Amino acid sequence: MEFFLQQTVNGLTLGSVYALLALGYSMVYGVLKLLNFAHGEVYMFGAFAGYGVLTILGGSSALVVPVWLAIVLMFVAAMATSSAIGVALERFAYRPLRNSTRIAPLISAIGASFFLQASALLLFTANSRTYNTPQLIQIETGIPFGPIRVWMVRLLVIASAALLMVLLTLWVNRTKTGKAVRAVSFDREAAAMMGIDVDKVIVIVFLIGSALAGIGGVMVGLVFGRIFHLMGFVAGLKAFTAAVVGGIGSIPGAMLGGLLIGFAEAYTTGYISSTFQNLIVFGLLILVLLVRPSGLLGRPELVKV
Amino acid sequence: MTSPNDEVRIGVDQWVEQSEGRRVQYSGWTAPVRRLFDRLAPGPRLGLFLLAAATYPFLVRASDVRIGIAILLLAMVALGLNVVVGWAGLLDLGYVAFYGFGAYFYAIVASDQLPAHWPTWIAIPVIVAATAILGALLSLPSRRLAGDYLAIMTLFFAQIFVELVRNFERLPFVGDDLNLTGGPNGIPGVKPWDLFGFEINTFTRQYYLALIFLGLLIVGLHNLNSSRTGRAWRALREDTLAAEHMTTPVNRMKLLAFAVGAAIAGLTGAMFAAVQVGVFPNNFNLFILITMYAAVILGGSGSIPGVVLGAIAIAYVPELLRDPSKAGWLFYAGLVVVVFVLVRRWDRLAATAGGVVAFGFLVRAVSSSIWDESTMGETNDTFFSRLVDGWVLILDAQRDVITNYAFVAAIAGVLLVAVSRGWWRIAALIPTVYLGILVWENKLAFQPSVTRQLLFGAVLVVMMAVRPQGLLGTKRVEIT
Amino acid sequence: MRNKPIWRTMAVLLALALVAAACGGDDSADTTTTTSGPAATTTTAADATTTTAAEPMVCEATVGFMGPITGPVAFIGEVQLNWFKYAVDTFNSDMGYDFGIAEFDTQFDAAQASTLAAQVLDNSAIVGIVGPAGSDQVDAAGAVFEAGDPNLTFISPSSTRVGITAKYNGLFRTVGTDDDQGPTTADLIISQGGTKVFMIDDQSSYSTGLADSTQAALEAGNVEVIRESVSQDITDFSALVSNIPDDADFVYLPWQIAANGQILANQMAEQGKDAVIVGSDGMDSDDFSTPGSFILSFVADISAFPQSADLLAGYLAQYPNTNTFGPPVFVATQVILEAIDRVCAAGEVPSRASVLAEVRNTDLADSIIGQPISFTPEGNMVVSQWYVFQIQEDGSKVGFVG
Repeated sequence: MEFFLQQTVNGLTLGSVYALLALGYSMVYGVLKLLNFAHGEVYMFGAFAGYGVLTILGGSSALVVPVWLAIVLMFVAAMATSSAIGVALERFAYRPLRNSTRIAPLISAIGASFFLQASALLLFTANSRTYNTPQLIQIETGIPFGPIRVWMVRLLVIASAALLMVLLTLWVNRTKTGKAVRAVSFDREAAAMMGIDVDKVIVIVFLIGSALAGIGGVMVGLVFGRIFHLMGFVAGLKAFTAAVVGGIGSIPGAMLGGLLIGFAEAYTTGYISSTFQNLIVFGLLILVLLVRPSGLLGRPELVKV
Repeated sequence: MTSPNDEVRIGVDQWVEQSEGRRVQYSGWTAPVRRLFDRLAPGPRLGLFLLAAATYPFLVRASDVRIGIAILLLAMVALGLNVVVGWAGLLDLGYVAFYGFGAYFYAIVASDQLPAHWPTWIAIPVIVAATAILGALLSLPSRRLAGDYLAIMTLFFAQIFVELVRNFERLPFVGDDLNLTGGPNGIPGVKPWDLFGFEINTFTRQYYLALIFLGLLIVGLHNLNSSRTGRAWRALREDTLAAEHMTTPVNRMKLLAFAVGAAIAGLTGAMFAAVQVGVFPNNFNLFILITMYAAVILGGSGSIPGVVLGAIAIAYVPELLRDPSKAGWLFYAGLVVVVFVLVRRWDRLAATAGGVVAFGFLVRAVSSSIWDESTMGETNDTFFSRLVDGWVLILDAQRDVITNYAFVAAIAGVLLVAVSRGWWRIAALIPTVYLGILVWENKLAFQPSVTRQLLFGAVLVVMMAVRPQGLLGTKRVEIT
Repeated sequence: MRNKPIWRTMAVLLALALVAAACGGDDSADTTTTTSGPAATTTTAADATTTTAAEPMVCEATVGFMGPITGPVAFIGEVQLNWFKYAVDTFNSDMGYDFGIAEFDTQFDAAQASTLAAQVLDNSAIVGIVGPAGSDQVDAAGAVFEAGDPNLTFISPSSTRVGITAKYNGLFRTVGTDDDQGPTTADLIISQGGTKVFMIDDQSSYSTGLADSTQAALEAGNVEVIRESVSQDITDFSALVSNIPDDADFVYLPWQIAANGQILANQMAEQGKDAVIVGSDGMDSDDFSTPGSFILSFVADISAFPQSADLLAGYLAQYPNTNTFGPPVFVATQVILEAIDRVCAAGEVPSRASVLAEVRNTDLADSIIGQPISFTPEGNMVVSQWYVFQIQEDGSKVGFVG
């Protein structure tokens, strides 16, 4: 039981981060029908922005401001950096290709991703950085859940991810802008005819998706520690997977997909084999797709003839 | 590209549009070349290409022949990918696994992994057939999955392949003595192809073998594309549902596309293993897949000459950027070109050039009077750095920190220039050009390997923005 | 996209720029080097004739570096390249030479290494290579060298796979092999009273080789081994940490990425696992600083030796950071440069064959890594001493005598 609980917490933490990243993927896909393969790099820059703020504030061991303020500032800086990069990506890499084939923006995205990786290598060198969170928030601090104790940082990650997802869902469903986003992702041309400023909606989507990725970056830095210039590649791939398995374009689907992969990874390592973790997780996801060909919560695509 | 503008115009039907398009197509000063290229029949076109390619090894050194082999192999594998992606319109992200499968298969039967080596003339047909069967098997999920769901499923397949290869000996049913793939160590010491006693063991021989295969492949694929099967694939790509209604055997066509693509990848993989004299799990990671896709899409998805050109561009540009003195030329030439394109009136051009020069001297004068270490650094002593030394700041102390800020500022400047107009653009351009040169001479020129990736990424983005349909691709509307 | 002709013009001009670059590059390379082509980063001294060289004969040569300067393990290649540049600069200024350097970025990819090896061979100014880093790339490049010019010296500063040096004539290495490190690790664990070891490899060639050798030695000493492995791209180990049994007394990590080791250590603390971590030489880095852990290293704590400490200080004045992969590069570069020096001193022009012959004669009484350097006929180090450190509460590493 203790083991199961522990693995559940592990999976939940990992899944929350995946879900945050997958949300950005899925929203962009919804409005533009394009796979933003540079999303992982946006997340990486968020993680480095958070690290920069942490360093400016004195580093984990000699912080000059209260811990909560430091964390808030890190989140803010990461959101700002990531959104700026995300919006620039949209404007310069994707907008010129708005009306071309589906796969053309893929290469733009890959080019942008190479560019951003190399920029990070130039700016931050290849040496990986660590947030050194245990010095910020003691490892002994935590809340007991039955036989196990959960570290504050994990709670912070899980709680803030959950909060963000709730806020995002409310925003999409309740606000006027959210309605516009839904309209654009349902049918871009029809939305434009109804007087929705499609360009603006797309920019907003990139802004929010990238901000979420930035927060995800800081969270990964806080809970797992290591950040480096290539961290975006694998994370981006996981997010892409989560978004597709959840049903691409569907916001609750992205969350569910992220959590599913997080749990699958944790339980596979815990109960079956760490060596074949990837193998088993991928096999599982293939089964999911074969049973539900449009993802967990995706609508089967209606084809107008 | 062919229509004068993108807006819907009243009274312009398809025929008018097409005839206008034909006229516009050959306007501008590149017209004669393009007209010539378009008028040439595919046969002579291929002949010219093969002739040029065949003389290449006589003109260059061995290392360039080796690069040539890499280009030819990429062209072959990209042509195979083009069958699946460009013609049948199936987004297959597992394609790299077929390439890996062919390579590993050859490596296993032509190295010390097995007690007996297979003769090449048996091994190659077996590999091609086996990879085709594997491809056909992978097409089965495409019966149920479409678009991006198929893409992710095939991506899982690619990753599973690498995981299996890397951890083969740890599989529960495999003993230590049956470590076929060599695990993370890969298989070194693969034997060259041996065609009835003729060993393909030098770069030149490998080059010509690859060229022969590429030529055969181009002919075969060209004929296939203009056959019933080719038409069925395109119908499938444009509208699967409509194709099905026209009694196209959709599933069989998908299976065929996967199998043909896979067979080509398997063949290329087998050549690759012999050329590299070994195979390693990292040879078949997702970066390689990205390279293949980049070749197909950049060249023009669906077009055979386009894909070959794309492969040449994707494999050759990074090699060109490898040498810092060449990269320096490319940087400065690119800078001049960009300025020329952005500012086309001569008065403004003169103002920009003068502004940049004056700005540089001004910054230098101010900076050196405040802080004399800002001009004391060393350049990397190439033609251009000697030219601009004495004009641009060459930092000594604090170089890394300052150039980092300058780098970010330069990128912000580029973006600003792109969105501003008129004299504002020139006002933004002057400091941006200056910052670009500053960053180049202080930082980028000293880190050629990183700069190479940076420029390659930028080139990809710019090329796609310039020609979204690819270098030789044709524009088409996609039905979603 | 309204102004299409402009874009087209731009594309054509860009293509012209590419062609210009190709031609321009050729020209400039021809003027800077007499013998080599454009393929590499040649900065050989064109003005060596104008400088007042100490010897009457001009001793010129270029040394190449092959390593993962970018790509997944850029943190290794970056430090290796820095140490390489530092070694050449130091040697040039100390001895009055002007040896050139050329860098080749393998991106930790064997296919790249194979292409680059051909470029190395074509640049006849290059008489020796430091690198490649990983065993895959050594195999890929070695095959090309062996076919093209078996007399080219290439010294890997980080390839530890057993038996690889026997395959290639020109291959040497300045690190020990897995067969040396594994038993030393096992001895340490056994001497510390270990009875149950949890061992995690990272599915890389380096890691599995080391884990296999250590596991064999431990099992021979009747220590129970639980073997797990994780893919290198996984950065959350909490699920794996939960699998560590409470009665395991050691966790052995033969990992290249020390920062990942620190994450694992943090997650062990989080879940209350108190086994002691033993890290391989890849973990010898400032990124890993869990008190009480043991680290094996091929490199002695170089700041402890006066001559090494000076070199280290000089390095850190120029470059931002170092790690365990750096000093063996310095040794490898030093071996090649001193071989060139001896060739010149004997009045010969440095060539690949003469440099190789002199590299075989290498006999340094001491080096920056605190060991004498000479090679076996195969190309391995004659003496390969392993050092054990224990990390203290304040993060410092203290030599451990068990």
